[in-house]
Amino acid sequence: MASIQKDLDWMSVLLWVGLSIIGLIAVYSATQGPVSEFLPRFIQNNFWKQLLFVGFSLGLLFYIQFINPTIFKNFSYLAYTASLLLMICTLFFGQEINGAKSWLRFGGFGLQSSEFMKITTILAAANFLTSRRNIGLEQIRYALVSFLIIFVPTLLVIAQNDFGTAIIFMALIPVILFWSGLPYGVALLIISPAIILYLSVFSWIYGLIAMVAITAGVFLLQRSKWLTIVSVIMGSATVVVVQLALTKILQPHQVARVIAFTNPSYDPTGAGWNVIQAKTAIGSGGWTGKGFLEGTQTQLRFLPEQWTDFIFCVVGEEFGFLGASILILVFMLFLLRLLQLSINHKNPFAQLVTLSIAAVYFVHFFINVGSATALLPVIGIPLPFISYGGSAFIANTLMLAICLNMDLYKRELSIYS
Amino acid sequence: MNDFKNHHRTQVSLRVMQVMFATVCLIVLGRVFYLQVIEYEKYSMQGERNSIRQEIIPSARGLIYDRKGELLVSNEPIFTLTVNPATYDTTNNQLLAELLDVDISQVSDQINIAQRYSWYRSSPLLSDIDFTQFSIIQQNLWQLPGIGHQVKSKRTYSDKINASHIFGYLREADAKDFETNTSLFLGDKIGKSGLELIYEDRLRGESGIEFKRVNAYGQALGSFMVENEGTNPIEGANIITSIDADLQAFAEDLMTDKTGAIIVMNPNTGAILAMVSSPNYQVDRLAGRLDRAYWAQINSDSTRPLFNRAVSSRQPPGSTFKPLMGLIGLEEGLITPTTNIPNTGGYQRGRLYRDIAPKGDYDLEKAITYSSNTYFYKLMDDFASSGRLNIWSERVKDFGLGVDLEIDLPSATTGIIPDSAFLDRWFGINKWGLGDLINLGIGQGVMSVSPLQIATMTSAISNGGYRITPYLVEQLETPYLTIFPNKKDPSKIDWVQKEHLDLVKNGMRGVVQRGNGRFYVKNDFLAIAGKTGTAQNPHGYSHGWFTSFAPFDYPEIVVTVFLENAGFASISAAPIARLLHEYYLLGTYSNNVYNYVKNWEPRDDNSNQTAE
Repeated sequence: MASIQKDLDWMSVLLWVGLSIIGLIAVYSATQGPVSEFLPRFIQNNFWKQLLFVGFSLGLLFYIQFINPTIFKNFSYLAYTASLLLMICTLFFGQEINGAKSWLRFGGFGLQSSEFMKITTILAAANFLTSRRNIGLEQIRYALVSFLIIFVPTLLVIAQNDFGTAIIFMALIPVILFWSGLPYGVALLIISPAIILYLSVFSWIYGLIAMVAITAGVFLLQRSKWLTIVSVIMGSATVVVVQLALTKILQPHQVARVIAFTNPSYDPTGAGWNVIQAKTAIGSGGWTGKGFLEGTQTQLRFLPEQWTDFIFCVVGEEFGFLGASILILVFMLFLLRLLQLSINHKNPFAQLVTLSIAAVYFVHFFINVGSATALLPVIGIPLPFISYGGSAFIANTLMLAICLNMDLYKRELSIYS
Repeated sequence: MNDFKNHHRTQVSLRVMQVMFATVCLIVLGRVFYLQVIEYEKYSMQGERNSIRQEIIPSARGLIYDRKGELLVSNEPIFTLTVNPATYDTTNNQLLAELLDVDISQVSDQINIAQRYSWYRSSPLLSDIDFTQFSIIQQNLWQLPGIGHQVKSKRTYSDKINASHIFGYLREADAKDFETNTSLFLGDKIGKSGLELIYEDRLRGESGIEFKRVNAYGQALGSFMVENEGTNPIEGANIITSIDADLQAFAEDLMTDKTGAIIVMNPNTGAILAMVSSPNYQVDRLAGRLDRAYWAQINSDSTRPLFNRAVSSRQPPGSTFKPLMGLIGLEEGLITPTTNIPNTGGYQRGRLYRDIAPKGDYDLEKAITYSSNTYFYKLMDDFASSGRLNIWSERVKDFGLGVDLEIDLPSATTGIIPDSAFLDRWFGINKWGLGDLINLGIGQGVMSVSPLQIATMTSAISNGGYRITPYLVEQLETPYLTIFPNKKDPSKIDWVQKEHLDLVKNGMRGVVQRGNGRFYVKNDFLAIAGKTGTAQNPHGYSHGWFTSFAPFDYPEIVVTVFLENAGFASISAAPIARLLHEYYLLGTYSNNVYNYVKNWEPRDDNSNQTAE
């Protein structure tokens, strides 16, 4: 039997503690600052609630380590089905916050069902894929089924009007497709529309260049005439659709929002406001920041949702490049460590689950920080372990706990593979 | 085999993934480095601008007092709504218009102006809103981001006097004002006429500046990290005017429903004790938010209520000019005190210049008293014939006619006293001759003066030949010092001889005792001397003049009354002057004369008659 003291991956735990502490400091600053009396009452309580969540999650993290690792695989379909039902419940009985109907309310606490849906989706998809022996001949069919395992909850999240979380689910798709044994070229082809679409928003020329580059990649990897032709057609279609959407289909205010992303000063008080305020907060931090509780952008509420979606700005403004780079580097080490755990696994299920969880963290991180630094359009999703949010914090810790559990028992697990 | 291949593929992929994650993290790190280190300057400035609002603390405009310290013009607080275009949402225009009960176009117009003026600075949206409306807005402030308020002040005026032409009105500074005065802010009111204009810089003081931290909703956050680099406002100077409020009120009362002007002046100093121009306007109606209808009305009114007749009206002086004419004639030796010129009903020189004074012999004193035209036609003829037109012109100007009096009021006219150069311009070289000059002798023809100039001339005659500078402001009081802005010592007109002056003054005393002043000015208790005059008016009844001083021996005041379309000055302007003399010198007035003045109507007259 593995010993928690000896075999637990303490490095991951340490990095998790580091991130949680950074998060608590940032949430404290965002909600308890010198002029916090201007904030609504329920937001002023956020720090204390977050402290509670962190404490609870810490207990959970260690409690999970005593569980038999086979349970995650064995109960994955059941858990998946249960959380799907919870999602549907949320659709009907959920509470709407900031336009997204993703909270189920129990007494004083709101439960964001999609956060837990993330975990069960990963487990179910991984179970499905790794339970199939001799992957190869039926790749396409398996790929399709695992695609559906992810796509159904994605649709439910979109139905809840939570576009940010839907992107997290969709990010799982290439990981799973790749794992299912699809050739590199085909996997590249499948994710190519997203890349081309993103670049086309800036300029149709960038879109076309990306299309040509991807097509060249697909051709070199697969040497297939048909795939190459499909790549050209799909890529060009994406560019054309984006152009049409921008010039003909979208309403002016929607176009403004898209243009504001590429040029935030286009409408400083409208769609571009958040981008400008976020960049200003981060940029005005300088090398060492303005000091704890002394960031004017943060304390004076120029940032919307600064305890969740724009939490990175709080760190950037008050602790400067020093603080921001510590956060980024800790997060990077955390991700690399998780991937290392994944590499160490001989059990395919554990490997795929750990890898997928790392991917989810990564996408959260990249979109959140990318939005705040104007690398990406503003998409509201939280930064794992840093942003305020009970469901998210607990679910994210639960994912880490599962990774750690499977790592702790990896020798036992490898027997079952 | 398949498993191994897959395993290998997975291992490679995971390594690739590690590299990819690390790369993306480093890209993000690079981006953060770019923002925080390379572009630091740009964003740190933007951050400051974001949260620091510059607020203007208006200075209290100086107060205006009368000569005895009675408060005439002061300030009262008014609430002004402000808008910050950066945070204001223009879709709220409709709501705002409804809450304020104004037309939506007024709201959107003003917001456009504010946006053009400054995107980040709060500008006035609607000034002088009443307290109820102010409360309604405050209650709805939560749904009106960008709307704030300022407590400003507006002018408030003593009920006792109107004096609109003295004080002048304020209006919001326009684009041109901003170009010339950089210390002005949108919505600032500045003096546009009267003392408010002339002493604008002194009255306004200097605005203070306060820097405040505000949050994204524009709520001021007290002292949170404020670098206190603001400045305190400096109060405007208070003005002590030369006006006697009681006398001014009385003079305004006498001019009610009449058209014309009154000047009451201290002949020894030039202090203006009362100045009326009628019709006037309600200066208090221009004080708060602009009353557009009223503004349009007074601007288009054919009686021109905005026009200050007392200093700007240009009229021939008529017979009021005769005493000065005599003085110059004596000085130039063209006449002596005993020179006799007979009046046979007119002066024959190329044509007949009519004279309706009683026929007979006239010396200078008698000619002034009975206003004989012949005497002065002859005298002017002598000036012109002896080539002394320009000397005559110089001497007239020494008494303040035809020159800038440098009074502290805007748009005072210099009038016209012709010399040969002027007449060359006026008629053309060699296009004028004696016929154009003889009329000048009785104050007609190519000459014009303002009531203030006549008062100044009368002062110089009464005070022993000292030219005074008329002024309205005794002193300006700032918190630190007192300034005497426009007071100049009287200067002796060097060529004037006392005996000549006494002769002329006796003639003017005679006007009241024996001449046409006897009807309404003659009395037993106050020695008034004066001269009537008629300014011929081609459009209707003549304008009447009466200029006077009293007491005769030691003059304390000069009263000049000018009435438009009044006909005979002796029965229109003169009684008004008498009442003012009595009121000021005796503190009482003759009721019968007062009732006569209040009920007086212009009478038909023969506008050719010039005997006054």
